[in-house]
Amino acid sequence: MKPVQLFCWHFMAYPYLDKDFDEKQYSGWVTVPNSLWDNRKARGLYQEYIDQLAYADELGFDGMVLNEHHQNIYGLMPSPNLIASALTQRTTRGKIVILGNLLPLHMNPMRVAEEYAMLDQMSNGRLIAGFAPGGGPETFNYDVPSANTREKFWEAADLIVRSWTEDGPFAHEGRYFPLRYVNLWPKPLQKPFPPVWIPGSRSPSTMAEVAKRGYCYFLSSRSHGGETHRAQQEFAAVLEKHGDRYHPFRFGILMSTYVAETDQQAREECEEGVWYFLKNCLKGHLRREGRQLTYGPGVPYIPAAAWREYLKGYTPGRKLLGDVENWEELDASQSIIVGSPETVHRRIQNLIEKAKVGNLLIQFQLGNMPDQLARKSMKLFAEKVAPALRHDSLKQFTDEFPGANVEQAAEALH
Amino acid sequence: MSGRTLQINERKVWILETGKGAPLLYFHGFADVHSVKESWIPFHEKLAQHAQVIAPAHPGCAQTDENKDIDIIEDVVFHYLEVFDALKLTQFDLVGSCVGGWIAAEIAARHPEKIRKLVLIGATGLFVEGALIGDVFMMAQPEYGSSYASLREMLFSSANQPNALEMFPDGKGELEDEVRRYQMLRFGSRIGFKPPYFYNRSLKNRLHRITSPALVVWGEKDAFVPRSHGETYAKLISGAEELKVISDAGHSVHVEKPDEIAKLVLDFLAE
Repeated sequence: MKPVQLFCWHFMAYPYLDKDFDEKQYSGWVTVPNSLWDNRKARGLYQEYIDQLAYADELGFDGMVLNEHHQNIYGLMPSPNLIASALTQRTTRGKIVILGNLLPLHMNPMRVAEEYAMLDQMSNGRLIAGFAPGGGPETFNYDVPSANTREKFWEAADLIVRSWTEDGPFAHEGRYFPLRYVNLWPKPLQKPFPPVWIPGSRSPSTMAEVAKRGYCYFLSSRSHGGETHRAQQEFAAVLEKHGDRYHPFRFGILMSTYVAETDQQAREECEEGVWYFLKNCLKGHLRREGRQLTYGPGVPYIPAAAWREYLKGYTPGRKLLGDVENWEELDASQSIIVGSPETVHRRIQNLIEKAKVGNLLIQFQLGNMPDQLARKSMKLFAEKVAPALRHDSLKQFTDEFPGANVEQAAEALH
Repeated sequence: MSGRTLQINERKVWILETGKGAPLLYFHGFADVHSVKESWIPFHEKLAQHAQVIAPAHPGCAQTDENKDIDIIEDVVFHYLEVFDALKLTQFDLVGSCVGGWIAAEIAARHPEKIRKLVLIGATGLFVEGALIGDVFMMAQPEYGSSYASLREMLFSSANQPNALEMFPDGKGELEDEVRRYQMLRFGSRIGFKPPYFYNRSLKNRLHRITSPALVVWGEKDAFVPRSHGETYAKLISGAEELKVISDAGHSVHVEKPDEIAKLVLDFLAE
């Protein structure tokens, strides 16, 4: 058994928007005018963000997390593989998690297979390979017809893994990506292949596909009320149905945190970055204001029968994370956990206990949060929160999951 | 309402039929029977006073089975060739609105012998430089969590047009209406989401093959398919009269002005 794995997730927001952005701009996604990009301010930004991730490695985080977004102010990583490549040379121990490459957006999945294999070699076997289908904004980014997104996604994901594990050359007679010569050079270092993580938002079909293949399920939600442990229970049930057993490292969640010396200081220091993140970065994604691209009938990727079920329980205009109006509401959403090391430990510990989750992917830098504050929070977390979480979770997981084989075969290499 | 299911190659096709007279096939668009409403709208009822109106629901719409093998407009054309055979129709009048107009034009260019007369209403299908067909998918994503005003604005003469408000209300609509709207967007996404956006660049060069008389009708305020598309259809189909522009109406001109359009169509078919 191993303790909870703590990862540092960086989204790489654009932090230089004017204070009136929310008032003046309709969206932070897809159509947000790129005339707002200011080179005088943005020079050196990637360096700052990469340095923060390298710092996470120094502080002893179990890994660094990157993901792919396009045409937005929320995350400036159209190609997370480029950042991952830099990290292979700047870090030495943590995993490099890309969660993930958006497979339906790529003309040819072999490009992803090749780049991931390169990153696995360059990092000495530290890659965790995430595959994601993309959601609403991504559909518009690259004009992906949504009715076949899911099928395209799984065909690409399976082809990539096959290209890592089966000797080539072989022909792939696929529906969406037919290829005459699949013959990967280089191969990934980890055997049989790098761990694969797949994000989902509690759709039973995604859980079933993940379970069938033995991958890790990542809950791509930003709020951790009852939903998190319900998702865990649902996924555990799906695993059982597939003759498998749940353990904490089959499951991961995203959360955000800010740690400072006291509760009050924590709130004071992070509040500007938090509101920038909620009101600017989430506009167009997890806010009602403007046009919300993330869910809706304009991106019809689920079958009509599933949409009918969704509509039955859906309240138009319901509040999303970015619609919270005050600190108390935000606090209740359990999305961003802010406070002293004691407070943050208690709340995250509580979450782990309930949701039995082994992979915590934690966002530290929020919105326009200054470098020194993000680093201070990461350091306090690593020194004053992480040890207790590791200690408690190891005990909990050992008690609750006796005999679980949590070391993935891929890690036997080390 | 009288509906029935055709069985075609393991797949079900849902059709509505009404009226007596010469067969008239109707292909629906976004604001229409099958794509919102379960049954006929007044435009069809007026046509049915003089024709046998037959309206199939596109693949994946209403009770027609979805077909995952549809990638391009060609696949839809072949789907309908099967439908014509199943209905034992050899020659008929063909009326299409919006995406339905595109399908109708593609069929008429390939099989002119099947079409007695052709009517295109706000048809997509053409590439006209500098006049892009609107992004109905983006507009179908609600604003402020529950508003479909910009979708209504695209598909009708204004966001507050009464038919628009009835078919695409803000907030929660009639559940099955919403499901049909979703199904139509899903069908549309297969052939019109990625470039080409609801058009086929080759169609323009094929329109001269259409031999039947043709009527091309456009709403003056069409905010989805620019009027220059209608002008191009009217110019390149040799049997087409001059484009008929209906004032004070938007893209869904047959919904907004059923009397006027039905009369226009019936007069044309009776000529």
